[in-house]
Amino acid sequence: MNRFIECVGVGKIYPGKTENVEALRGIDLVCDAGEFVCLLGRSGCGKSTLLQMMAGLERPTSGQIAVAGRELDGPSPDAAVVFQDHGLFPWMTVQKNVEFNMKARGAKAAERAKVARHFLDMTSLTGFADRYPHELSGGMRQRVGIARALTTEPKALLMDEPFGALDAQTRGRLQDELLQIWEKQRTTVLFVTHSIDEALLLADRILVFSPRPGRIAADIRVDLPRPRASQSAGFSALARELRGLVGADRDID
Amino acid sequence: MQLRRALGLLPLALLLLAWELAVQAKVYPPVLLPAPGKVLLVFVEDWQTVLDNAAASVARVIVGIGLSFAVAVPLGLMIGRYRWLDLLTDWSIQIFRSVPPISLIPLAILFLGIGDKPSIALIFLSGLWPLLINTIFGVRGIERTLIKVARAARAGELLVMKDIILPASLPAIFTGLRLAVGAGWLTVVTAEMIAVKSGLGYMILNAQLTFRSDLIIAGIIVIGAIGLVADQLVRRIRAHVCRWQEGLTAAQE
Repeated sequence: MNRFIECVGVGKIYPGKTENVEALRGIDLVCDAGEFVCLLGRSGCGKSTLLQMMAGLERPTSGQIAVAGRELDGPSPDAAVVFQDHGLFPWMTVQKNVEFNMKARGAKAAERAKVARHFLDMTSLTGFADRYPHELSGGMRQRVGIARALTTEPKALLMDEPFGALDAQTRGRLQDELLQIWEKQRTTVLFVTHSIDEALLLADRILVFSPRPGRIAADIRVDLPRPRASQSAGFSALARELRGLVGADRDID
Repeated sequence: MQLRRALGLLPLALLLLAWELAVQAKVYPPVLLPAPGKVLLVFVEDWQTVLDNAAASVARVIVGIGLSFAVAVPLGLMIGRYRWLDLLTDWSIQIFRSVPPISLIPLAILFLGIGDKPSIALIFLSGLWPLLINTIFGVRGIERTLIKVARAARAGELLVMKDIILPASLPAIFTGLRLAVGAGWLTVVTAEMIAVKSGLGYMILNAQLTFRSDLIIAGIIVIGAIGLVADQLVRRIRAHVCRWQEGLTAAQE
């Protein structure tokens, strides 16, 4: 397996008025191509910050991040980001939103329309191309966000709590769909979540974060066969272990 | 809609009634306060005068506000986007926008003479500030995630301006345009009383010299009516251009 994303000694400090806040310290991580990795932890443990840095949207204060063998200097062309609050442009139709990443790369209109249609079909959005985002449900909006990220055929999907704002039922459906897409596209996925169940349903590997400053407390391989059921014995055992590691309380479900 | 019209017209009908009563009661001699019917006659007998002058005023406002739009919108988009431009211009904008355009009439006449030029220059200035300030405000209000989406997609600066900054600012720009049209209309009438020999302002001032109080009142009615129509027009255009906003903002009325 080749190393697709590599972080070496990554730290992030936010300057504050009275004192600096250390969000992350000494993060070393290697993520192989095609792996589905979940970053799990409570809110405020720096997992989203790390994802933003791997997306090239923020700079680490110390250490290096490399994506596809290139040291990161701004957003990488090999990765696409799915944002927590979906990040759709409210003035664009679903079609235009999905086309945006391709447009940013200078793709021709006909090509954009064709590729957009393909990924709209894949994300079960056929027939919604001409709607505006506010006309869609939360789950559909996030599907549009995923479709948009897929259009440039990225080698990695960086997903920042993409299903965090959805109801349980919609969430479950989108998790299934995401796994299907992942199996089809074989992209590397880095997925930030604060839900132990979600991490266990999705990931090959779970990186457990601990807070103040954010560090990787454990790196756990999940060898359960897919599709996974939360009732299975292996699942419950891992869930118990993770709950202990995260120091779960009511924050974590 | 019918109720809205009926309610909207009610105060005007009451005013008309009060006017007629005042005339009947001979509060002022008819030479000063003509009957509503006499003023109505102006639109029959002197319609050419009224129309020519109204057209002259409207044309000046269109040219003047058109110029402010062409300058203020691109400039505002850039000031809102680039911090250094904001630092460079902020104080100057705050100083110059506090100067009432009317107070510049003497200077405008000295530099530009009597005619269209000084009045258009003043309308330009009175529309410039509301448009500029609202455009800047619009850019500032953009959701941060949307800018991140564009950065993650590695969108070029031109695409960001055209597809994100401009459409996101349009609602605020139209608010600015409404204020600008209102301000421009106020300015044109005043400027025409001093600096020009045509237009509604000139017409009513001239009517005073010839004791045509019916023509004065007719002129005032036309000024108000055009102001209302212009405002409604901008509102309609806004509703059309920003239709993606429906359902996003609380109903406006």
